[in-house]
Amino acid sequence: MEFDGDVLTIDLGMSMEEIKGFEEFIRPRIEYIETIEIAEGGAFASSALLALLVSIKRTRPDIAIGFLDKAQHASPHYGTIHWKCHD
Amino acid sequence: MTKQEQVKAIFIEEAGEIIEKLDVDIIRFEENSSDFALLNEIFRGVHTLKGNANAFGFTRLGEFVHHFEDLLDYYRSTQEFIEEYNLELFVNSVDVIKEVMGCELDAIADLPQSYDECLAGIKKLLAMKKNGGDVLEPLPQEQMLNDLAAEFGLSCGEQLASGVDKAIEVFQTMQRDGLYLYKIELKLDEDCYTRGFDHVNFLKALGEGAEGIESFFDMQSIPALEHFQSDANKITYVLIAVLTTKIKSEVEEIFEFLFDNEYSLTQIEKQPIQKQEETPLQNVESKIVQQSSSPQSAPQQSTPQQGAAESNVSAPKSTIRIDTMKLDELFDSVGELVIAQNFIAQNEKIRMIEDESIGRTIETLSKITKRIQDRVMSLRMVAIKDTFDKMKRVVRDTSKKTNKEIHLLVQGEETEIDKTMIDSLSDPLIHIIRNAIDHGLEANAQERTAAGKPTEGSVTLKAFHKSGSIVISVSDDGRGINKERVYQKAIERGIITGEENLSDSQIYSLIMQPGFSTAATISDLSGRGVGLDVVKTSIEKLRGKIEIESKEGIGTTFSMILPLTLAIIDGMLVRASEEIYIIPTLSVVESFRPEEEIVHMLKGKGEFVSLRGQHIPVVRLSDVFELQTKERLEPWEGILVCVETESGRIAVMVDELVGRQQVVIKSLGKSLAKLKEISGGAILGNGDIALILNVDELRPAIENANG
Repeated sequence: MEFDGDVLTIDLGMSMEEIKGFEEFIRPRIEYIETIEIAEGGAFASSALLALLVSIKRTRPDIAIGFLDKAQHASPHYGTIHWKCHD
Repeated sequence: MTKQEQVKAIFIEEAGEIIEKLDVDIIRFEENSSDFALLNEIFRGVHTLKGNANAFGFTRLGEFVHHFEDLLDYYRSTQEFIEEYNLELFVNSVDVIKEVMGCELDAIADLPQSYDECLAGIKKLLAMKKNGGDVLEPLPQEQMLNDLAAEFGLSCGEQLASGVDKAIEVFQTMQRDGLYLYKIELKLDEDCYTRGFDHVNFLKALGEGAEGIESFFDMQSIPALEHFQSDANKITYVLIAVLTTKIKSEVEEIFEFLFDNEYSLTQIEKQPIQKQEETPLQNVESKIVQQSSSPQSAPQQSTPQQGAAESNVSAPKSTIRIDTMKLDELFDSVGELVIAQNFIAQNEKIRMIEDESIGRTIETLSKITKRIQDRVMSLRMVAIKDTFDKMKRVVRDTSKKTNKEIHLLVQGEETEIDKTMIDSLSDPLIHIIRNAIDHGLEANAQERTAAGKPTEGSVTLKAFHKSGSIVISVSDDGRGINKERVYQKAIERGIITGEENLSDSQIYSLIMQPGFSTAATISDLSGRGVGLDVVKTSIEKLRGKIEIESKEGIGTTFSMILPLTLAIIDGMLVRASEEIYIIPTLSVVESFRPEEEIVHMLKGKGEFVSLRGQHIPVVRLSDVFELQTKERLEPWEGILVCVETESGRIAVMVDELVGRQQVVIKSLGKSLAKLKEISGGAILGNGDIALILNVDELRPAIENANG
């Protein structure tokens, strides 16, 4: 996880412990972060990270999470994951 | 190669095939944009490509095809009329896919400029269509999360179901024996993470041995951070489609520790191959006309009704993929079988046995062997249709670039040709076609009208069998070749001296000499003065030749004459000393015993024979291979075989013509590969071995020997 000014870059392959750490980190800082970027080339280690990103977006819709907008991610290990977020 | 690398290699091969098919299909669709069955076919190809590209981390390709797929999906579901300028976007998109695939394979960071332009065009068009003609303003961030499908009133669950159904539809097209298709629903409880379960882990387990896997996560129940807790699962519903080698019990094993209410598994039965439904008659005119496969049939212009009545979607064929190496081994074995069978049939001792049943058995063996040989040969043969289909794109693009209206006529596309040759044919064909349009046809419609021709130029692409060879010809109805101008240009360029007595065909062939160009201006399509030379060399490498026929004001035909296969050649068997050699008959011009008067000895240059005004060097085979001879014969005591070589004609002197025979070419191994004068070996019917001559290297061999 790297925080450079307004941009927070995270790895997709976070373990559950790391995801919980990320959740703790972002809760008090959510108003200051403009963009969350995902480091290239990773793969999900847990679906909890996808859920957390969606939760962040719901909490602050103007935060830019380009990765979420793509609505899909692919990996040779688990194929293509698509997600639908609307109510 | 690791399993992962093997899978990736298969993906690359399949992706190449999909893209190649897209390239052809998109042009067919451009010809008849009301063929929605074909649009469906294109959609399926793009969808498969998307899944595979993403699975292998080709994300840039994946993203592009994802949007292109959305656009195709819109048109296939609405069956809305596609405007011509939007069709251009479709065609360009396939070009971008081809380029991006190249970038992905070579790990090139910079994408072509057309990538962004085309992607923006796709997004814009899709947004316009979905908003009733208005371009969408960028969506507010909150809405950006939502899929556009939501605007059509589909619930999240319906969208997931639709997504998985599409994936299943695609996987069904990929399904073959040994592959099973499953639809899985996951409804993991909130405490699943603390119980040690995770959606991703299940997907990874399913991914092992899978040919395709797509999952759809319903994220609508995810609350804002205030009510969120990472280790409490809020992803309540996930749908998965997986095409795998795993049988049902193996898949069930993956989920065995879940509660029954947390998952359901359904095996999707293999879809039976269905007959293609006929599309209704449409009143659409097609510019590129495809004729019946028989080249002998009289040319007929298809009526608009005929053109549109049949969908362009190719009927499904049951095929299997075989390593060409295995095919070559099989072919070699059959070659040995033929030799063994010939040996039995020609064996004097066996022939002397006066038993009718043995004679009949040998005859039956001969018939069966021939049948097996023909069948195995046919395995290497593929219809030239795919290559011709690619040429439609070449004609279309060249037509646009040169601003010339072209009517392409295709004949004999079912003609079969050796697979190895097909791969080497595309480039020469592309060059000849571009050359025909760029230089062969008149510069513009006015020039054609003045010559009394229709404004639309005509190019005919034809394949047919002739005297045991395959002929592929490209004809145009353009200006024809100015023979006098070619002759003068060849003299100016020093290609000929002007003293030669050349036939029309030989004069036309001069345009294929290195450095020859009659074009006043050089275009980016052809006419760089190197192209036709390269074409000639490429065809000769396939043991073929090019013939040009032309009539000024009427048109020009380039005919590529190719052997049926690269594995067998038609050879002339000759004897020099006690050895038998094979000269490929394609290079033989004539054979004769010369009169003493026409043989000359030029000091320092060796022996020559004067033939119809030409001085042809004599090459003694016994000298090339340093054969022991009882006495040195004079040329008029032996036989001269006149052959065409890269550096002109030579007369090969042999002791005797033995006969003509089709022989299976055998490679000679590393030790003899250095002998340039030999291109291979063959086993004759009596079991003897004969060497196949590389006629292009016979003269240099003598010149080198003489210093």
